[in-house]
Amino acid sequence: MTTTVPTRAVAPHGASSAPRARRGLSASRRRQIGAAYALVLPFLVLFVAMVVVPLVYAGYLSFYKKKLIGGTSFVGAENYLRALTDPSFLSGVGRMGLFLCVQVPLMLVLSLFTALALDSGMMKLAKVARLGIFVPYAVPSVIATLMWGYIYGPDFGPIAQMARGLGLGVPPFFSGTGIFFSIINIVNWEFVGYNMIIMYAALRSIPTELYEAARVDGASETRIALSIKIPLIRPAILLTVIFSVIGTFQLFNEPNLMRTLAPTVIGSDWTPNLYAYNIAFVNQDANYAAALAFLLGIVIMIISYAVQLGAQRKERRA
Amino acid sequence: MTALDEPTPLTTTGTRTPSVHEDAGDKPRRTSWVLTIVVLLLTCYFLFPLYWLVVASTKSNADLFSSFGLWFADFSLVDNVRTVLTFQDGVYIRWFLNSILYAVVSGVGAAFLATAAGYAFAKYDFPGGKALFSIVLGAIMVPTTALAIPTYLLFARAELTDTYWAIILPSLVSPFGVFLMRVYAADAVDTTLIEAARVDGVGELRIFFTVALRLLMPGAVTVLLFALVSTWNNYFLPLLMLNSAQLFPLPVGLAQWQATAAGGSGAQALFSTVITGSLLSIIPLVVAFLFLQRYWQSGLATGGVKA
Amino acid sequence: MSPSPFTRRKFLLTGAAAASSAWFLSACGGGDDSPGQGSSGSAAPQVAQADIDKAMDTATTLTFWTWVPDIGNEVKMFMAKYPKIKVDVVNVGQGAPHYQKLRTAIQSGQGAPDVTQMEYQYIPSFTLGDQGSLLDLTPYAPADLQSQYPEWVWGQVKINNGLWGIPQDTGPMGLLYRDDLFTEAGLKAPATWDEFGAAAESYHSKNPKSWLFNVAQNQPGQLVAYLWQAGVRPFSFDGQQTVKIDLASDQAKTVVKFFGDLVNSGAATNDADFNDSWYQGLANGKWASLPIAAWGPVFLQGTAGKTSGKWRASTLPQWKAGDNVSSNWGGSTDAVLKLSKNQIAASQLALWINTNKDSMLRFANEQFLFPPLKSVLSDPQFTGQEAKFYGGQKVNEKFAQISDTVSTEFGWLPFMDFVYSNFNETLGKAFADKSDAVAGLQAWQDGCAKYAKDQGFTVS
Repeated sequence: MTTTVPTRAVAPHGASSAPRARRGLSASRRRQIGAAYALVLPFLVLFVAMVVVPLVYAGYLSFYKKKLIGGTSFVGAENYLRALTDPSFLSGVGRMGLFLCVQVPLMLVLSLFTALALDSGMMKLAKVARLGIFVPYAVPSVIATLMWGYIYGPDFGPIAQMARGLGLGVPPFFSGTGIFFSIINIVNWEFVGYNMIIMYAALRSIPTELYEAARVDGASETRIALSIKIPLIRPAILLTVIFSVIGTFQLFNEPNLMRTLAPTVIGSDWTPNLYAYNIAFVNQDANYAAALAFLLGIVIMIISYAVQLGAQRKERRA
Repeated sequence: MTALDEPTPLTTTGTRTPSVHEDAGDKPRRTSWVLTIVVLLLTCYFLFPLYWLVVASTKSNADLFSSFGLWFADFSLVDNVRTVLTFQDGVYIRWFLNSILYAVVSGVGAAFLATAAGYAFAKYDFPGGKALFSIVLGAIMVPTTALAIPTYLLFARAELTDTYWAIILPSLVSPFGVFLMRVYAADAVDTTLIEAARVDGVGELRIFFTVALRLLMPGAVTVLLFALVSTWNNYFLPLLMLNSAQLFPLPVGLAQWQATAAGGSGAQALFSTVITGSLLSIIPLVVAFLFLQRYWQSGLATGGVKA
Repeated sequence: MSPSPFTRRKFLLTGAAAASSAWFLSACGGGDDSPGQGSSGSAAPQVAQADIDKAMDTATTLTFWTWVPDIGNEVKMFMAKYPKIKVDVVNVGQGAPHYQKLRTAIQSGQGAPDVTQMEYQYIPSFTLGDQGSLLDLTPYAPADLQSQYPEWVWGQVKINNGLWGIPQDTGPMGLLYRDDLFTEAGLKAPATWDEFGAAAESYHSKNPKSWLFNVAQNQPGQLVAYLWQAGVRPFSFDGQQTVKIDLASDQAKTVVKFFGDLVNSGAATNDADFNDSWYQGLANGKWASLPIAAWGPVFLQGTAGKTSGKWRASTLPQWKAGDNVSSNWGGSTDAVLKLSKNQIAASQLALWINTNKDSMLRFANEQFLFPPLKSVLSDPQFTGQEAKFYGGQKVNEKFAQISDTVSTEFGWLPFMDFVYSNFNETLGKAFADKSDAVAGLQAWQDGCAKYAKDQGFTVS
């Protein structure tokens, strides 16, 4: 729970900027500690109330089982053991693993490419492009999914209309495999701009002198981008990767709303989060849902940690 | 993708001096038409659904189902807008105001709490500080569903479900905001400045409010904007917490209108109303993006990245 | 009923066990309640008229959860009749979200309404065991209430000796069809499903871009109505803990095979219904007919406007030649929650808006809810209406006749949310994949039986 990439990313600042002066518990030091607590407290109180307490309660629930007939009983780790052999949960996690491998690279490559293009200064209408690509982030996922749902429409959607007009086959947006890519497309559409802005901001903060020399030496812009700029914004990229990992495994809104269009293709267990939701609200099993959610949290942590570790190794090798 | 709705801080290597190339893009350099065309094509892709939305919102229900999706048919936008604004006694306007209220209060609140906490984490070495910070960050990993039902039950016990608080209180907690502000505060507020104020006998909290807060503003604005967007777009939490249509924010209200098309007695197909309502609902944020571009830019560039 | 009261009490100290506390209340409140007690009817004596009059003359605010459009009209009529009673109408969502919210509110003991919209098939899940959350309305209802409804309707609300809701509307199944397309293809409204199947084949072979009808891959309600019509009785619940799940009977297999074969041969589509693409299909002649409930004609009018005048209504094709049997899909009741602090006023609201003839005529003629009340079903104000969309046909009259032919005694399980959701993953998926529908039916049966056992039910 406590190991995250951000911790690592922040460590150097924390270490360098925290007050060095330790003079025992002088009056001034006591005042400082008091002030620190006073500043942290408002956030912390809400954090405990809104995150920690519900979490503890969910943990408590996960050790019980409530049947429609027979009431509630303590079952220890039964819910967790059940989840580990639950094909619905495992296939959902597997599907999200695959989603992660396809969607996240696609999205981040697009984000990085557009960010580099905007930063290169070799583009006309860069401001228009920047805003245009970023604007989907302002669209709620509910509305994004609704729009794409219409656009995908196999009978009367504009893409189907055009494809038929051109005598081509209608793309199977709602088939078993098709839906996977249809949802990837929606998620990409929503978040490429968001990640682009993060990377772009990181690029803008690179001191120009770091690559002016290379430019003078005649290095091409592509070369500069690949061997100077990208390595320099690696922490920002890593961060977008981690947040994408978390986001992917928590995927919910898009598939949930797409279910009216492809009800049998997107099963109630299409994503682990959707599964937990359905277990809780359709199967009325809040206890098992809590266990699922905890396990999912653990999966997310492990993968985030692995990504972070991999990146560190690479950095060390580099 | 709830996690991604949160503000994301940026860090580069952190050891660099602040000679930022603010004007790199402005230096005249050879224009690459290939690059320009490729990126503008991409831009078209990102604007395509919005174009569809604009076209679709000018159509009646019948035309929506029978005319070509990417071009205009009989122009019914005015009728549609009127329906949106008057349907169910004009509840849409209420949703609009609710959304603004939720977003602004949560955004300002989250930004302030995150700024205070981030500043404390960055500038004070206090017992338990590091552990607390790690726990706050760890919370990011927890899936929303894990918290949904317990949070609902707790709120119900406190008789807070179906109130404005049920949306605002959870939205005030932004672990990402705290992280961003810690990174930002570490750099933006010079420790010698604090020391100097201390020597002058200024109280710790006054230092924060009079000296630090001003320096932290760009970062805080970034947190505010991200919190604003994530609250504006929030669907799951209000769906769970709210029953009264009078309290709905836009996404929940629109989803409910959309759901009336589902089968059963009393089914109504409000498709054109939902589409027009969707268009109207994204206008404020798009406009805000246009006008606040400067802040996005500076908040992210100086805030997240400079660190 | 709590096996571990002390851990539970202890947990209350953390202030976090809202659910369990509500649970305590319901478990202890009724004195010596035994598990499962909730769903057997009370033998409580009739509430005296004097008490009712007193309650209706006391200032009271009721909360009413309903998704029915414009139901405020009927509620206003009620409030005009009883000026001391104020009713807050709240729409928390339609379908699944409504019940999810209702359950969570009941579970937490906070914020539940006094009166709620309740579909027939969900009644058993709210009268079940420790969740027994509906009030038995028998003591509040007039003695002649039963005689006001067709037998099958009464059977849907009077279950295990309790009256759990007052019927508001029903959905007898009929067939809507495009007269123009039928004429073009030389078809008449088929009398039997066999004829219908043959017509589907021939129609599609003549019209490659159009089909006779759709077998919705996501619509358990429609499929259950087909089963109901065929005499299949797949579900029952004794109100205690025994359920019968018999989805894969021979009779049911015959029905499912019929539709599965049509889908597999391509003579019927397998589209998901009630989404925009389906509405578009109806508007554009993708289908020449639509087997649907009595609430169908009106919403079709709303979306397929340009096909006005071309539609007709008919009875559903029959499984046996010469029969005239229908079934029901949808419709709902108004039920009162036990948690209500104003049970008398709440039950009077449910009773009044659904039995007062003016109120019911308004539901029928303005909101187009198909009436369950015999007096409305035979009222010329209702049956006499000629629908332009249906070429001047008296569609209400047609469906009123159909209502008389709905077969009786169809029961439900106390967990229909699961049953319907599981449909999409089993039989619905078989329709979608054009795979063996009977195998899909068996998978549905198995999934439901397994869930029932996991939840502690005895499955017979």
